Amino acid sequence: MRDSARISAKLAAVRFQGITKVFGKDVKAVDNLTLEVKDGEFMVLVGPSGCGKTTALRMIAGLEESTEGDLFIGETRVNDVPPKDRDIAMVFQNYALYPHMTVYDNIAFGLKLRELKGFFWQVTHFTEAKAKRKEIDDRVHEVARMLAIDQLLHRRPKELSGGQRQRVALGRAIARKPRVFLMDEPLSNLDAKLRIQTRAELIRLHRDLGVTTIYVTHDQVEAMTMGQRIAVMHNGLLQQCDPPETVYNQPANRFVAGFIGSPPMNFVDGTVSNGHIDLGPLKIGLPAGHPVRERQGGQVTLGIRPEAIYDAGAKCPVAVTPDNSFDAQVDVLEKLGPEDTAYLDARGLSLTASLDPATRIHAGESAKFALDLDKLHFFDKQTEVAIR
Amino acid sequence: MRRALGAGLGLALYALVVLVPLVWVLVGSLKTGSEVFSNPWGLPASPQWQNYADAWSQAGISRYFLNSVVATVGTLLVLIPIGAMAAYVFAKYTFWGSKGLFGMFLAGMMFPNFLVAVPLFLLMSEFGLLDTMIGLVLVYVSYSLSFTVFVLTGFFQRLPNELMEAAMLDGCGHGRTFWRVMFPLARPGVLVVAVFNAIGLWNEYPLALVLLSRDENRTLPLGLADVVLRTEYQANWGTLFAGLVIVMLPVMAVYWVFKDKIHEVMLAGAVKG
Repeated sequence: MRDSARISAKLAAVRFQGITKVFGKDVKAVDNLTLEVKDGEFMVLVGPSGCGKTTALRMIAGLEESTEGDLFIGETRVNDVPPKDRDIAMVFQNYALYPHMTVYDNIAFGLKLRELKGFFWQVTHFTEAKAKRKEIDDRVHEVARMLAIDQLLHRRPKELSGGQRQRVALGRAIARKPRVFLMDEPLSNLDAKLRIQTRAELIRLHRDLGVTTIYVTHDQVEAMTMGQRIAVMHNGLLQQCDPPETVYNQPANRFVAGFIGSPPMNFVDGTVSNGHIDLGPLKIGLPAGHPVRERQGGQVTLGIRPEAIYDAGAKCPVAVTPDNSFDAQVDVLEKLGPEDTAYLDARGLSLTASLDPATRIHAGESAKFALDLDKLHFFDKQTEVAIR
Repeated sequence: MRRALGAGLGLALYALVVLVPLVWVLVGSLKTGSEVFSNPWGLPASPQWQNYADAWSQAGISRYFLNSVVATVGTLLVLIPIGAMAAYVFAKYTFWGSKGLFGMFLAGMMFPNFLVAVPLFLLMSEFGLLDTMIGLVLVYVSYSLSFTVFVLTGFFQRLPNELMEAAMLDGCGHGRTFWRVMFPLARPGVLVVAVFNAIGLWNEYPLALVLLSRDENRTLPLGLADVVLRTEYQANWGTLFAGLVIVMLPVMAVYWVFKDKIHEVMLAGAVKG
């Protein structure tokens, strides 16, 4: 990757303005999306399958037309610009390498199309074409060195492993120095180990090239680790677009809170009464000064991250009071190494807790657990919007 | 076990039915005219290689052979690009009326060509294309287009859309996407379609009979039939058989060269690859 610093990039922001995409008569894949991806930013579009993230990406590429709204790349409105003129490169989920071309030709194909303007031009501009061909050749080798695939240039895609194909697909995208990179779940066909390794390489590559990158995934770990900002989508609607730590710590609504985080957040419905939330079998104190206290008698959903639940008996970082503690039985205990996941039964309420492995609790036992009240989340039960 | 034996016997019988006439013609082509009748099942007393020379030059088969080559190759050169482009569009794009249009293409396969002989004759005569090679090639192209489009559409449907999309993002318009990426990938299918069409066209008789009349324009099947007619009462059967062998050889050679590819393509999709 050390050659990459030499590659400069043309930067370009991507802006969705009220973009809607309807398939058929009434299937809204993307619903009134307004979102700006800044120059050189690494933006991750994340959401469950069918949320509209891939459709949004394909609209940037020009592979789908929007039904309504305007799409800008840089200052240009590109709604009517065909894909070939958008100066965008895309890495597909299945890589889409040309099977009949060698790795070299796969990488050089786009460059040749842009630089060598047809057979007639090459004949009439012989010396210029020759210089261009040399330039293209240098560029292909440079990119191949950067991605450590220079030994594979003469091979065909079917003679490569999954990881190598992935690199060739990246090389094809990088070689042209496009204004925007689009990546559609590029790691989903790799095995777990390679996925983590490539994740880090993509982050490094983006840092070195500085090209605006829009990355689509359904994997929230990829989203959290790679994105400078994450756009969470659900049912075609943008739920929240913020840096990863904001999305995690201040989810905009119940969907985002439940989608981001593993194991997922616990949700319990309850009623606000006198500085407490009544969850039925349990009564938990509300954090001091929290606006949810003003909703006396209101129906709210309490959200508790598994790591905000502690074993009150061992190395508990919060002071245990009657307001923040409860007794529960450990149903199942999963020892993961760095942490234990405990499935608790608190008098009929099911809660998941991520516990310190130093805990001495065993499955089937009852124990006292404490909550960090400052890390509780509250959502309106009807609208599911966060109460802050 | 018994079923396998039965199937084996059935296939062996079928192979015999196909092979015996071929071998008989091949052996007969080396006999003299009278020997064919006096010794129909035996080997020739002395191989008459002269039969081939006579068929090639005296019976005018060389001329017919050349005409058949021009008609077949000429048709393929026009047919394959047109058929492939149409098939690609039907496979990858839906537009208003695309299904109906595809149906019309397929309907072409259902017409027996005897049915169109008279209108076709009149049409070609209107255009002044009767008894010309260009006329014959044009008719052959339209006659073969249905089958070609039908088979190639299946091939293009199997190619992933992402390849098209990748090509477009790489800077290809529709034309380049087709010629540089999709057409080369459909090559196995194109090859099979070309071979099947070539065999069919090489042996095609009724359309050529309707459209061609001058002797110098005749294709091999017509020419050979003519040899039979001309020599009806003083038939040199040895020469005729040699002519038949000359007609069959190219077809068998083509099939032999491409047989692995054809089997591969026919079986593709049967097993998940």
